[in-house]
Amino acid sequence: MESLLQHLDRFSELLAVSRTAHVRTWDPVTVRRALQWARYLRHIHRRFGRHGPIRTALERRLHNQWRQEGGFGRGPVPGLANFQALGHCDVLLSLRLLENQALGDAARHHLVQQLFPGPGVPDADEETLQESLARLARCGSAVHMLRFNGYRKNLNLQEDSLMKTQADLLLERLQEVGTAEAEGPARFLSSLWERLPQNNFLKVIAVALLQPPLSPRPQEESEPSIHKTPGEGSQALVHWLLGNSEVFAAFCRALPAGLLTLVTSRHPALSPVYLGLLTDWGQRLHYDLQKGIWVGTESQDVPWEELHNRFQSLCQAPPPLKDKVLTALETCKAQDGDFEVPGLSIWTDLLLALRSGAFRKRQVLGLSPGLSSV
Amino acid sequence: MAQDSVDLSCDYQFWMQKLSVWDQASTLGTQQDTCVHLARFQEFLRKMYEALKEMDSNTIFERFPTIDQLLAKACWNPFILAYDESQKILIWCLCCLINKEPQNSRQSKLNSWVQGVLSHILSALRFDKEVALFTQGLGYAPIDYYPGLLKNMVLSLASELRENHLNGFNTQRRMTPERLASLSRVCVPLITLPDVDPLVEALLVCHGHEPQEILQPEFFEAVNEAILLKKISLPMSAVVCLWLRHLPSLEKAMLHLFEKLISSERNCLRRIECFIKDSSLPQAACHPAIFRVVDEMFRCALLETDGAPEIIATIQVFTQCFLEALEKENKQLRFALKTYFPYTSPSLAMVLLQDPQDVPRGCWLQTLKHISELLREAVEDQTHGSRGGPLESWFLFIHFGGWAEMVAEQLLRSAAEPPAALLWLLAFYYSPHDGRQQRAQTMMAYVVAPCRRGDLQPCGQRHSPPTEVARDRTPHVAHCPKRRPFLPEVV
Repeated sequence: MESLLQHLDRFSELLAVSRTAHVRTWDPVTVRRALQWARYLRHIHRRFGRHGPIRTALERRLHNQWRQEGGFGRGPVPGLANFQALGHCDVLLSLRLLENQALGDAARHHLVQQLFPGPGVPDADEETLQESLARLARCGSAVHMLRFNGYRKNLNLQEDSLMKTQADLLLERLQEVGTAEAEGPARFLSSLWERLPQNNFLKVIAVALLQPPLSPRPQEESEPSIHKTPGEGSQALVHWLLGNSEVFAAFCRALPAGLLTLVTSRHPALSPVYLGLLTDWGQRLHYDLQKGIWVGTESQDVPWEELHNRFQSLCQAPPPLKDKVLTALETCKAQDGDFEVPGLSIWTDLLLALRSGAFRKRQVLGLSPGLSSV
Repeated sequence: MAQDSVDLSCDYQFWMQKLSVWDQASTLGTQQDTCVHLARFQEFLRKMYEALKEMDSNTIFERFPTIDQLLAKACWNPFILAYDESQKILIWCLCCLINKEPQNSRQSKLNSWVQGVLSHILSALRFDKEVALFTQGLGYAPIDYYPGLLKNMVLSLASELRENHLNGFNTQRRMTPERLASLSRVCVPLITLPDVDPLVEALLVCHGHEPQEILQPEFFEAVNEAILLKKISLPMSAVVCLWLRHLPSLEKAMLHLFEKLISSERNCLRRIECFIKDSSLPQAACHPAIFRVVDEMFRCALLETDGAPEIIATIQVFTQCFLEALEKENKQLRFALKTYFPYTSPSLAMVLLQDPQDVPRGCWLQTLKHISELLREAVEDQTHGSRGGPLESWFLFIHFGGWAEMVAEQLLRSAAEPPAALLWLLAFYYSPHDGRQQRAQTMMAYVVAPCRRGDLQPCGQRHSPPTEVARDRTPHVAHCPKRRPFLPEVV
């Protein structure tokens, strides 16, 4: 077991070095040995996929390495992050070496020979490295072609395939990080927040929160006992959002109303904070007598239309959420003085607008103009 | 050898030109043209590789000075990279360009360049910068998530197609014809990639709402080719849709079956049955439109070969398989018999389509007499037939080998005088074109011959009993339990 772990360590170092100029010193023998190590680890992945203790030990080791080397913070990850990555560590190594122009002539020639030996007898047992690489190239072209010739961004972000893929990856990582240590997810997410393009990150979080619960990967031969129950990732996200008000404010600001309503319906823990934010935004607006509309004082204040939009969307949500929202609005209105006349309290005006909107909707639908539930 | 190399040089020029025109295959025209040439280009690449691997780098450049340009252009065309094994063969060709021991900086630079191109082919053409940053930030490499991304994109497109198919009247969410056509073009190189199957299926099954066909013919051809070569496995419903939407594909499938039957040396009935079932045509023929086309092709084949017994045997086996498949179909969704045999009287169709083995022995004579009557009526009544009366009736009759066999057995076994109706059937089976008088003579000749001896001797010619002939010629037949198509030996 110990030798296996050492082997893993050495390979991770190798993988890190494969990106640097240090490969200039590599000769064909080094290249061959590196590929052999990769093949060995791939074999280990196949052999011990089902074996609980060994797999757990390997995962833990990899996770520690990953964390120490900067998976949590400073940049692109140098090494392997999880057990699954072992399954194609040879491809990873091959690609890194191929990308590295610092490789010497002899080493390069040997590498290419090893990777692409030419037509031969296919291995019935396991896919050869050559086949894996060819398949990756084919898959890449397929994605490229579909992306530019058929794909259209889905306006419902949670159904968009690019978004869904990113969300799946985020949830998977969160689950692994959570398994390794309790406080892992929160720190991990904070580090991502600092490093990654934030707008995209927020969208991915929203989509991740709307995914159906991850089933334990059936094709991965994993035992359910190794990973915690699915849905852990979502929980971690909610927990982190609630603990970081600045992030949550950006989250609520950046995302469209409909998406936020869906997220809040699905995760009720978020609704009080969301409503609180909306209330804060509302209170920053004042009534401009001349123009006859509610305006903000500073440029970053949320305008009336957006506020109205969000409340309207929330009022179209199913009952528990919808009722909470209306109660909150009524409470605010009461606190303001319970005016019925427009122009005095933003809460009155919002309620009026929502009611008339609902009234118009009922007319359009041909329903009786009786007392709406608003 | 010398001729080969001349051919290669010609081809080289041709493909160099093509690749220059195609560039990155971003327009409709270039995409269509690329799709049509994909298979041939791959063959060319194979030939090139066979030539290149024998030479070293310097020799290669002497022979083909612009080889680096040719290969690079191919690498920039995503359709080529996506097709079958082209990406592998391209890689092999590129590897041949590497100098084992570079003598100067130019050769070294060439090696670097080749490495760069190889890396490009495998770098999975990244597009969205944000997506790339995100996945990198999480510690994932393309190999980790590209298969998942492809799957998501395929499923998303398939469900969009299905929605488009169902929500006919919601024009806002319709897929534009251009987009559909574009998707079908893009699928052509990807057809043998299993991840793309759901999309191919959706494209076939979900036809849009335009009156004319939108999908590109190259797409149908490519799918059909893959089906015939067993390189893709699609559900029966998708195959039926393909053959209904694109007639040339159905014709090609039939021709493929004929080719297999012809090229196989000794066709016993079991093998014929295997080929036929393998082709999925009997199940597809449960749809009347497909059945009509298939039947028509059999008819043409029969006429072309002047009633060759092999064709008759094939028709009989096919009909049997077809009836079995029809039996398995959902009863509510079944079409009326009339739709399969529109030119036949319903009563005749019904009685012929029965399984002969379902008829109790005591009723054989009665049933056969009835068939004979109906057929005779159809043949001799010229006003009915919409086209060539006797031939159509004969064509119908030979579909069902079981009945002819029953006639023979009945005639051989019964000691009594053979009824005219049965003799008529037998005479008709052998010689549909005979006029009334000629047939009457034939029937008399049959009666005259002593049937007990097991000979049927019309007018001086010797005939062995057909069933025994069948046994002699095809020894395997004896073990076929259910039915034995009647193989007449026509002298």
